[in-house]
Amino acid sequence: MSQIIISVGREFGSGGRVIAEELAKRFELPIYDRHLITEIANKTGMTASEIEKLDEAPKSRLTSRRVRGFSNSIEDNIAEMQFNFIRKKAESGESFVVVGRCSESKLRDFDCLCSLFIIGDMESKIKRIMKLYEMNERDAENFIEQKDKKRKRYHNYHVKLHWGDSRLYDLTVNSSRLGIEKTIDYLEDYIKARMAG
Amino acid sequence: MLSAQIFAVIIFVAMFLMIVLDKIERHIVTLGCGLLTLIVVFGICMRNGKAVWDTLALGNFIKSDFWYQVTESESKGINWATIIFIAGMMVMVEGMAKAGFFRWLCMKIAFLVKCRTIPIFITFMLMSAILSMFIDSITVILFLAAVTIELAQLLKFNPVPMILSEIFCANLGGSATMCGDPPNIIVGTSLGFSFFDFLSNTGVCAGICLIFTIIFFYLVFKKELAPKENETIDMSKLPSPSSAITNKKDFIISSVIFGLAVILLVTHSMTHLTVATIGLFIAVITLVTAGKNALELIKKVDYKTVLFFIGLFVVVGGLEETGILEYIADFIGDISGGNAHVMIAIILWVSAVASAFVDNIPFAATMVPVIQSLAVSTGVPIDTLAWTLSIGTDIGGSATPIGASANVVGTSVAAKNGYPVSWGKYCAKLAPATVIVLAISTAYIFMRYL
Repeated sequence: MSQIIISVGREFGSGGRVIAEELAKRFELPIYDRHLITEIANKTGMTASEIEKLDEAPKSRLTSRRVRGFSNSIEDNIAEMQFNFIRKKAESGESFVVVGRCSESKLRDFDCLCSLFIIGDMESKIKRIMKLYEMNERDAENFIEQKDKKRKRYHNYHVKLHWGDSRLYDLTVNSSRLGIEKTIDYLEDYIKARMAG
Repeated sequence: MLSAQIFAVIIFVAMFLMIVLDKIERHIVTLGCGLLTLIVVFGICMRNGKAVWDTLALGNFIKSDFWYQVTESESKGINWATIIFIAGMMVMVEGMAKAGFFRWLCMKIAFLVKCRTIPIFITFMLMSAILSMFIDSITVILFLAAVTIELAQLLKFNPVPMILSEIFCANLGGSATMCGDPPNIIVGTSLGFSFFDFLSNTGVCAGICLIFTIIFFYLVFKKELAPKENETIDMSKLPSPSSAITNKKDFIISSVIFGLAVILLVTHSMTHLTVATIGLFIAVITLVTAGKNALELIKKVDYKTVLFFIGLFVVVGGLEETGILEYIADFIGDISGGNAHVMIAIILWVSAVASAFVDNIPFAATMVPVIQSLAVSTGVPIDTLAWTLSIGTDIGGSATPIGASANVVGTSVAAKNGYPVSWGKYCAKLAPATVIVLAISTAYIFMRYL
């Protein structure tokens, strides 16, 4: 397979982003995650931190309206710019890793798409977030729930099938079972098999 | 009857909420709610087949005054004249867009003013208002905003002030004529007004307001749009207007059809052709001249909007047949204490505030039977109430980014090209402009009609 696109969806705290970064390194591919924010920042004249607030965020239904496919919501327009960006990259024949952004659905028509969804046990996710963000257990749990709720609303607004629905992904993996390192090894083998096939 | 009234209100409120929440496509919402109105309100609660037939209004098609109208008449139920006219104009506009008409017009005007920022700013506002008198504001803004951004990138200015001003003027221009904004078509066809009736009443008001609007936006935005010192414009770098024309023959044909549509609309009170006839004629002539491209034009028509209207009229018909709208009219009559000034102010400002946040089309469709009842019960002339309703719904929509379709399309085109417009940025300039224009309109109506 000359082109490979690895799409990584993830629950917050499951280590999905780290897994995506490591896969990009192992396959020597560019990764589009924060890079997309910089790209949109350069295009819009907004700062990266302003965009980060609106990135993968659902729009407010009360303050936005859609007319013939056009929306006044900045969240919607940023999402659309990101979808167009990854689509153009895919159409150009480039191989890459992309984190989130409904990429498993937006790039579904590309045979070279390998879509993964990383989940984790709540306990391990809380431990990870407590360590990363220096939070207590309760705050970490709330933070995870908040972030996942936001991602879910964002995804389900832009895509018909629900976030995390196994029918959307080639593989759904619980990173708490093997640990992050071994999950990466396992996924590397799977992707290699896909590329060979 | 009580159960029918309760269900009619529940269905209407549910429809409005679902339109606002935007979870289900709005044409599916209105069609679903329309079907419920026919089955539950008319069928189960009222057991009234005549109400169903009156609301569907299918008999209108075989009536001669639906196509050729000598005396003014009012319509009830589904307003097929509005639907046919809007669909017909959509076909014409698709033909014009395909031929490159709008882009050519924008580039031509920019070249005529030698691509200087402030003259472009003023002429584009005027063009937005004038085009919106005949064409739907979505199409006008779609092309104007795109060309504004293109010019902004070449001439290095911020396009947002210009796009915001164009949006405001498109809504203002739309209020000037019967076909400028969907609420006006609904008001005009429901109450039997002509194009010229609108032009000589709301049109005069819109003209006065446009002068104030241009002055206001010039004062507000002149700093942002002022050319940098010693900056020269190299017009050779800009795409020429003729490059916008995709096919010369199609361009000429679409321009002639547009001219014909304008003439037919302006003279329809003399020719007695109804807007339904004009819409159908324009659509047929566009499709015939399009030849093998006819199917492509039909496919591009926004059929969802047409379906949205059909469902909407049925739901409003439910409120009308059950007498709910008469209660609303009585309520407005009571709180105004029979004082025409208070009544006009209530209709104008409530319509404006409502239209700033919710779709003005269902609002106008609901309010038409209300003002009909008000005219009967209070003796205030129906035309005064009609102009008030039209101005309120058309102008109020400019105040927020979601108030009118042109606002959504304009801000979306800007955002997609790297110029996001937040609620704050939008309302800071356009909400005061809306209040100023509404104040002028209130004074105009008071002085001219009361």
